Amino acid sequence: METTDLNLFVRTSEETISDWNREKIVDALIRETFIDLDTATEISKEVEGMIRKSGVKVVTAPLIRELVNAKLIEKGLEDARRKHTRLGMPIYDVDSLILHPNKENANVPHGPEATNLTLAERIKKEYALLSVFSLDVADAHMNGDIHLHDLGFVDRPYCSGQSLEYIKKFGLNLPHSLSMAKPAKHPEVLLAHLIKFAAALQSNFAGAIGWDAVNIFFAPYLEGMSDEEVKQLAQMLVFEFSQQAVARGGQAIFSDINLYWEVPKHFVDTPAIGPSGKFTGKTYGDYEKEAQRFVWKLFEVYKEGDGSGRPFFFPKPLVHITEKFFKTEGNMDFLYHICDVAADKGNTYFVFDRGETAKISECCRLSFKLEEKDLLDAKQPWRMRYCALQNVSINLPRIAYAAKKDDTKLFNLLGERFLLAVKAHKQKRAFLEKLLSLGENGPLSLLTMNRDGMPYLRFNRASHLIGMVGLNEMVQVHTGEELHESKRALKFGLKIIAHMKLLTEKMEKQEGIKVVLEQTPAESTSYRFAKLDLHHFSPLSARVIKGDISTGEVYYTNSTHLNIKSHINPIERVTNEGIFHPLIEAGSISHIWLGESHPTKEAIADFVLKTFKYTTNDQIAFSPEFTICNRCGKTFRGLHEFCPSPTCHSYDVDGITRITGYFTKISGWNKGKLGELKDRYRNGEYFSKKMLVANE
Amino acid sequence: MDTVKIFYKDDCPLCPSAKKLKDNLKQHMVNTLSYNVGTAEGLAEATFYRVMALPTILIEDDGENLVKEWRGTVPKIEEVLYIVNKR
Repeated sequence: METTDLNLFVRTSEETISDWNREKIVDALIRETFIDLDTATEISKEVEGMIRKSGVKVVTAPLIRELVNAKLIEKGLEDARRKHTRLGMPIYDVDSLILHPNKENANVPHGPEATNLTLAERIKKEYALLSVFSLDVADAHMNGDIHLHDLGFVDRPYCSGQSLEYIKKFGLNLPHSLSMAKPAKHPEVLLAHLIKFAAALQSNFAGAIGWDAVNIFFAPYLEGMSDEEVKQLAQMLVFEFSQQAVARGGQAIFSDINLYWEVPKHFVDTPAIGPSGKFTGKTYGDYEKEAQRFVWKLFEVYKEGDGSGRPFFFPKPLVHITEKFFKTEGNMDFLYHICDVAADKGNTYFVFDRGETAKISECCRLSFKLEEKDLLDAKQPWRMRYCALQNVSINLPRIAYAAKKDDTKLFNLLGERFLLAVKAHKQKRAFLEKLLSLGENGPLSLLTMNRDGMPYLRFNRASHLIGMVGLNEMVQVHTGEELHESKRALKFGLKIIAHMKLLTEKMEKQEGIKVVLEQTPAESTSYRFAKLDLHHFSPLSARVIKGDISTGEVYYTNSTHLNIKSHINPIERVTNEGIFHPLIEAGSISHIWLGESHPTKEAIADFVLKTFKYTTNDQIAFSPEFTICNRCGKTFRGLHEFCPSPTCHSYDVDGITRITGYFTKISGWNKGKLGELKDRYRNGEYFSKKMLVANE
Repeated sequence: MDTVKIFYKDDCPLCPSAKKLKDNLKQHMVNTLSYNVGTAEGLAEATFYRVMALPTILIEDDGENLVKEWRGTVPKIEEVLYIVNKR
């Protein structure tokens, strides 16, 4: 090996200052790329020559790497250049990140932990696009044909749904933890295990962590407790989840609790697990009263709100309305109770499980429909663990711009984008498989832990989500009408989603993986797609993109939703949006924006019953708006610029309402969502009429 | 004039008799539309009419209002003709 006599120092990545050694360039090129030794040596000499000529005395490792990359490009070695890329960020961007909040996800606060999260996410995003996905998939993401969600979390699955039964049976025994806890003997301990396990899962999944039938699985622990004690436990559960803003990146855990008034059919004969992880000798069907007591108290807590009367952001309570619900004693009292919370605080999500449908819901609208084999697992509910590996959304309006009103082109392009999304799923799946193969010594050790004869993550049962953004605008471009404007437009929209649904079935057969449609929450994607399309497809795109182009607050209508601005009667909205839901297996939702109106619980209950009976809508939520004053600490209905209290009038206020599928402060929203907020048609008038009818 | 809409799938056991009904109705000059739910168009139409069982047969009037429906069963042709001719 040749040595050099260059009097030069290098600031290395290991925080040291070393003498110049040209051989390190050669070593790196040989290690990281596939070029030959002679070419590597030649490049190292050329780079050394450049540095010598410049006269500098100290260089940094990143600078040397970039000079080497420039030489690789000069020699036409693009593939080697890609492999030799350094991931990182300019100082300017890091400075800005540390100083200003991240607006991509309103559930990320601003602080040092959040900055760490964002920095790590940026690097992993770059890594994903360079190393995990092929060039065509990465390019399709970069140019906005599709969107690969949560790229910053490329080394973990998307989200997870499970039940308490796993920790009830096996305790809290996590790989590499400093101590292990046996199954809980007391309800408070079970609660502590639940919260810790949820935090551990949050570190291993990108998105939401959902819990099935929480009130039912807690029930065996509640025997002998007074109502006050049950209320206290309910309070602890809600506060513990909602105040976990000390976990990943300072984020609260995106948590969902599935709740039932009745014991659902699939759990009635399931042997119940009680204190110390022992079977109680009874089935969950025997614990209906205890489960009802707990869910009732949980909603009392939601109704009261936090210490200053604000709605809780997490955990999201998802109440399943089933056929059996209506046959269970006390159902109407309970319905009014949860509708009271929906009207007052907006927390309640109404999940409709019609006929024989059973599912676990979570995230903004995701649901795992239980199939026959899952229902067999219901006899051993700790086995019921579901996950989605990734979520990929398709930019639908862009397909319409390119198709130029030609049906054949439109469906052909849709098929091409769909195949690209499936390709992205296969690549992510292969990457995760590699990580999981490292077992309990690998990065996803928690997901490989084996306590019941199989890994925690049931990889072979995982779903692969395909979402859609802007069906409304796609139909508008292609047919000249928006979804709500004619039956013809609505039916054409249905044809698009039906085509996608049939493609999922075809892919499942062809690829042997479960591919399902989901209404993507698209908190930032509907903004990103709109911005990109304004740039690349104007003036056509400017005619259909929603929001305010002059302020940059632009967006596409989410998923299969109808135009958010149109003055549609809410029952008509949930009916027509609900027509799409049977085709979207992995979850849908319709929003009813209440604004500052405060409907009666009777009006909300009537609406819920009608939605269940007369529509095919999967899930609805009612969203009121609030203003909280940071000076006087009071909470007010509606969004106000300043505190409405006559004695305060402070401008130090925060607006709170629902974004995509969860409550959050508006100050953290991206520009697209702010545009959407301004456009939202509030249904106050409809419900005030209802109130009058109810009063009459 | 009433329209009879027939929803079917290639592999459903009762569907051949629904297809036969369609052919017979056409011979009687009844306005008949059939939808294969294995295609995007058929599935979209079936979803619009909340078809959950196959075959499904619907009769609609001029204003596309539902007059009569059979979900998961196939009526006798006389039954369909009686309703269509009566109106």
